[in-house]
Amino acid sequence: MFSFFNGKRQTKKNMKKEQNSSDQPNSNTKYPGYIDNTLSTNIDIIRKRTGNSSDIVFRSLKIGRNPEIKTAVVYVKGMVDSQSVNDFLIEPMMNNPALQEKIIPQEVLTIITEEVVALGGVKPVNDWDELFGSLMSGNTIIFIDGVSEALIASTQGGERRSIQESTTYVSVRGPKEAFTESIETNIAMVRRIINNPDLWIESMKLGKMTKTDVSVMYINEIADKEIVKEVHKRLKRIDLDGILESGYIEQLIEDQTLTTFPTLYHTDRPDAVAGNLLEGRIAIFVNGTPFVLLGPAVFIQFFQSVEDYYERYDIATAVRFLRIFIFFISLIGPAVYIAITTFHQEMIPTQLAIIIAAQRESVPFPAFVEALIMEITFEILREAGVRMPKAVGSTISIVGALVIGQAAIQAGIVSPAMVIVVSITAIASFATPSYAVAISARLIRFLFMISAATFGFYGLILALIMLLVHLCSLRSFGVPYMSPIAPFIPGEAGDTFVRKPVWAYKERPRLIATENLIREGKDQRPQPPANRQIDNQNQNIKKGDQNET
Amino acid sequence: MEKAKINAYQLFVLIVLFELGSALMVPLAIEAKQDAWLVILIGMGGGLFLYLIYYSLYYYYPDIPSTEYVQKIMGTTLGRIIAFFYVVYFVYLAARVLRNFGEMLVTFAYPETPLFVINALLIVLVIYTVRKGIEVLSRTGEFLFVFMSFLLISASILVVVGGIIDSNNLRPILADGIQPVMKTVLMHNLYFPFGEVVVFTMILPYLNRSEKAKRTGLMAIGLCGLILSLITAVNISVLGVSLVSRSQYPLLSTIQTVEVAGFLERLDVYFVLAVVIGVFVKIAVFFYVAMEGAANLFAVKESARLVVPIGVVILILSIAVASNFSEFFQEEHRFVHFYVHLPFQVIIPIFLLIIAFFKNRKKSKG
Repeated sequence: MFSFFNGKRQTKKNMKKEQNSSDQPNSNTKYPGYIDNTLSTNIDIIRKRTGNSSDIVFRSLKIGRNPEIKTAVVYVKGMVDSQSVNDFLIEPMMNNPALQEKIIPQEVLTIITEEVVALGGVKPVNDWDELFGSLMSGNTIIFIDGVSEALIASTQGGERRSIQESTTYVSVRGPKEAFTESIETNIAMVRRIINNPDLWIESMKLGKMTKTDVSVMYINEIADKEIVKEVHKRLKRIDLDGILESGYIEQLIEDQTLTTFPTLYHTDRPDAVAGNLLEGRIAIFVNGTPFVLLGPAVFIQFFQSVEDYYERYDIATAVRFLRIFIFFISLIGPAVYIAITTFHQEMIPTQLAIIIAAQRESVPFPAFVEALIMEITFEILREAGVRMPKAVGSTISIVGALVIGQAAIQAGIVSPAMVIVVSITAIASFATPSYAVAISARLIRFLFMISAATFGFYGLILALIMLLVHLCSLRSFGVPYMSPIAPFIPGEAGDTFVRKPVWAYKERPRLIATENLIREGKDQRPQPPANRQIDNQNQNIKKGDQNET
Repeated sequence: MEKAKINAYQLFVLIVLFELGSALMVPLAIEAKQDAWLVILIGMGGGLFLYLIYYSLYYYYPDIPSTEYVQKIMGTTLGRIIAFFYVVYFVYLAARVLRNFGEMLVTFAYPETPLFVINALLIVLVIYTVRKGIEVLSRTGEFLFVFMSFLLISASILVVVGGIIDSNNLRPILADGIQPVMKTVLMHNLYFPFGEVVVFTMILPYLNRSEKAKRTGLMAIGLCGLILSLITAVNISVLGVSLVSRSQYPLLSTIQTVEVAGFLERLDVYFVLAVVIGVFVKIAVFFYVAMEGAANLFAVKESARLVVPIGVVILILSIAVASNFSEFFQEEHRFVHFYVHLPFQVIIPIFLLIIAFFKNRKKSKG
């Protein structure tokens, strides 16, 4: 009878496997689908399945009187919070009076669950796949001889990096904490900001081997249901060996792959995630990385930082314009220099033209080659600076200063003007707030240089228009990448290049959040008192203090 | 027809950039001497009237482009022949705009670069754009429109600040009476640039709210008329009539005259930028419309397949259309305006409208 059911279950499994192989990657292993009722068999199965791995701890206990019942506690060293395993699980099981009496094996599970174990989550399990899944994610398993079920006690813990300040998105004003590698901590950090039951989280495990926890977070009533559905659809499609970072998911769910521009935003700041959730975006958390994905993303978002909203709006607006300008410098800086010196010398004021010509007299290369040499040198230095251990970092900066600097000029390889152009471009590419956009500009810069070197300003303009067409053709979860500028949405243009004062944000972006658009109440603009009457009512102020009215 | 929608603002932007396109580059209505600006204003009036004709046709057939409703109005065989000629007309105009633009760059900035290469570069960009569809084109247009407005506004500030305007050059007004003005309107200016909005009969069906088509189109044409009239008046007042009539690119000459504060000079880039933007949109619109028309006519399911062939045709035609620039220029003035534009922009649409009127009246009665 038993084997009959077992067989049936397996055929079901096989059918399932044909439909979706990611669901049952282990169905070809030798152990039966269900937990056996003898303890030694179960332990043997675990040993075999894990290849006798040394970090798996088997602790046998005996409970009950006449007869004693053999039990075993199984957990993975380092993955569990060992204090709670010892204090709330093993210790009570050995000493609890409820287990010192005569008990029959079938009741043990209930007794342990209800009276003995002092842990938050305890649940029975009879399926090996589920058992291994929770064992490997840091839970503790309790086996009882003679019972064909086991208990899972949630004891996840172990050493983790503590919450630290963000190193990639630094801000002067604003919360300092950044996400860590643990998904629970990260989700809790957002929950601490948005204390609302409408903050919904849906979790799944992705990756055949890694079984990585992935959670989708959004605010119900604000996020567009269609986009939520679409995110789910795209996540469900994923069938990979392993998800090691949110970048894997980003590359698997983006709308268009043939582009250098990121169509999903990522950040490691909880306040940025909260702000985006309030605009109706959807966050994707991945266990093991502090970087959270946010979609749908629009291009202009990559030029905004959370701090813009904390600063005064006029200053934030000026900074945003500066960032766009910086982006253009990092994109076309060398290209413009090449175009001017090669094709359009008449555009430079005469005196400067003479100086540049004098400088370039000793340089054997055309401006394009000169720029290429310097740009590539700079890219080498930069890559070296990123990958090198910190101890050798200072060597690189000294050598780098020699290469891009006096020595290169004295050697007659490049002209001083070119050094200035390349240095400004380099600094500009570091000043873009989003690293993802900065590196795509870094790549496209070379295309611009080529087009400027071959056709001067004409080539440069055509390349810029082509870039614009490309950007306009991108979408992120169906939302046009260049919105709200193209298509132009009048109400939302206030949060693009400029930033409206906070009291003027009446509505959420309507392409991202389709319903529940109203964001703030009426009359949010602060009204100063019409006269000083308020102060006059304050009796504590002496008459002499008010002589300015 | 592609499954796409554009909104009224995008249509507005497309019409404005399309109309400005090559009209910024060449001398407009200079046959009427210092009254050229007046010619453009009257031509604009004619353009508005023509747009109303096209709009009425759109009103009868709001869901299909002109190559399709021609077949409904004239019957399949005759309609198809007319639609085919329209497609050829659009391709031909795209080629002419491209040639004109290429000649401009070769004469003024790249004397050693072959015309073919200059044209080929632009057509590659247009192929890339048209392949992405009308939505992407119109979104790009929104950006370019902002950019173009910035260019025009700052250029006019520079011209005014530069103190080079001499309004005496515009006098006397109507020295030879109204006759030469009207003659120029009817011979040239009505058709170029205003009558060319006939291509938008192919784009209007994409509009998401059809009730806005009339107002948007009229406003866009009105705005273009004012801008072009203003630019012509500035050109004449800066350079004088004789210089403008001899100059191939009067706006370029005007901009080259600007010198502000001792260092703001040689602002040729302004001109090149504005013209590249305008010409790009103009060719892209002609190209897109020709492609959709051809796809519709020959029942090609994926119109994007026609992109490269039509692009190559436009490119080669732009080289083959005339053997040199004087020939091109004479052709434009003596032949194209009157014998090509007039039938396609005025005669056929009016004819179609009359038949459509009677057909639809019959229908509504029945």
